[in-house]
Amino acid sequence: MNKLLKNSLRFVLFLLVQTLILNQIEIGFGIQLMIYPLFIMLLSFDTGVLSLLAISFTLGICIDAFSNTFGLHTSSLLVFSFLRPVIFKLFDTREGYDLLLEPTVLNMGNGWFIKSFGSLLLIHHFWFYLLEMFKLNDMGYVLEKTVYSLPLSFFLCVLLQYLFVNKQYTK
Amino acid sequence: MRNFIAFIKHFRNVLIFALLQGIALSLYFTFVQFPRTQYLTTAASIQGSILEARNGITKHFNLSKNNVRLQKENIELLEELPKSFIKLEGKLVKIDDTLHRQQYEYIPGIIINSTHSKRENYFTLNIGSSQGIKRGMGVFSTNGIVGVIHNTSEHYAVIKTCLTKKLNTSIMLEKTGQQGFLEWDGVNARKGSMTGVSNDLKIKKWAKVVTRGGGGIFPRGLPVGKISRVEVVEGESLWDLTMIFAEDFRKVQNVYIIKNLLLDEQRDIEKQTDYEDQE
Repeated sequence: MNKLLKNSLRFVLFLLVQTLILNQIEIGFGIQLMIYPLFIMLLSFDTGVLSLLAISFTLGICIDAFSNTFGLHTSSLLVFSFLRPVIFKLFDTREGYDLLLEPTVLNMGNGWFIKSFGSLLLIHHFWFYLLEMFKLNDMGYVLEKTVYSLPLSFFLCVLLQYLFVNKQYTK
Repeated sequence: MRNFIAFIKHFRNVLIFALLQGIALSLYFTFVQFPRTQYLTTAASIQGSILEARNGITKHFNLSKNNVRLQKENIELLEELPKSFIKLEGKLVKIDDTLHRQQYEYIPGIIINSTHSKRENYFTLNIGSSQGIKRGMGVFSTNGIVGVIHNTSEHYAVIKTCLTKKLNTSIMLEKTGQQGFLEWDGVNARKGSMTGVSNDLKIKKWAKVVTRGGGGIFPRGLPVGKISRVEVVEGESLWDLTMIFAEDFRKVQNVYIIKNLLLDEQRDIEKQTDYEDQE
């Protein structure tokens, strides 16, 4: 399938699932399920930082417009996409990345995915809740929200990949 | 030279990141205070119509509960109708009342989108400026107040609810009349707090809290909640009051928007006094 078409379709799907379904699920304890960072994560290894930033700005603004957060999601998604290359370099495998691949859990393996996506999602969630509370003496509550939401969001992201994404093979 | 170019290249990414981040943050902090456009909120027509379509499905989940609530309200109103009273004296004549004039009108609306677990929670309403909704109007439901209209478009509106840091509404204790402000700490959607009440008077647990009706947004006496815990603020002569909201914001769907017919008159006269004070 054409790469552009595939990613546009994914963009719309992630947007709708996040805003129409996940934003409505209220588990309590201040937990919010956020899967849209997975869209940025799944863009192939050769995507440059500038296009990552542009894409995440667009996606973030769209999600904000639907959930009345006025830029909160945009800001945290920008942090996510800015740090993506940095984290990837940090957890580089010995033989390097295949630039045409998408960094899915199936392509890269569980260990690598947990390390890189886990730390990126942690930063994303922490930034999100920190901005949302915007009060340093509520730090405990920020951490609490991050710790509760992170495993659920992460688990959902992995599950989605096992269900809907196929493993890619290159020669 | 090569290093310099590499540096610029590296710097370019940071610059673009900082620029976009700046846009996002400035949007966030200005919108929370005062929304300038409605395009980035759920009041915009695209977002509104999509959310309304979703609500077309999800509204049925709470249908029976909402019916019971509306029925209860109907019964209360029916009981006040003349036909539900027995005439005790046959000679009474109905006189056209000139002492009372209508001050508040109510517009019915349905909430099509809501959140409760964020720090600042906004609800989306299925009616907008074409139905006479304006920024600053009060919103309440059968059980108590819900919030204030924050932003409107032609067919949709966004409500700033009691589940935000501070809804600028003055509230008071029903019996003693001590006034304070409504605040929410962002933890529990059932519990809010009342601030600015001086601790010279004792406050009973489960005392009712109602709107004060000073700003012309809400009429006096709409229920807000009940005091559930009374504590002293350390080092200040103030009470720290926790209350349980009268309305369960997680379930509310049918609301009424308050239109104050005398608001312009009130604002005019308040402006005049302000003007005189300045001179």
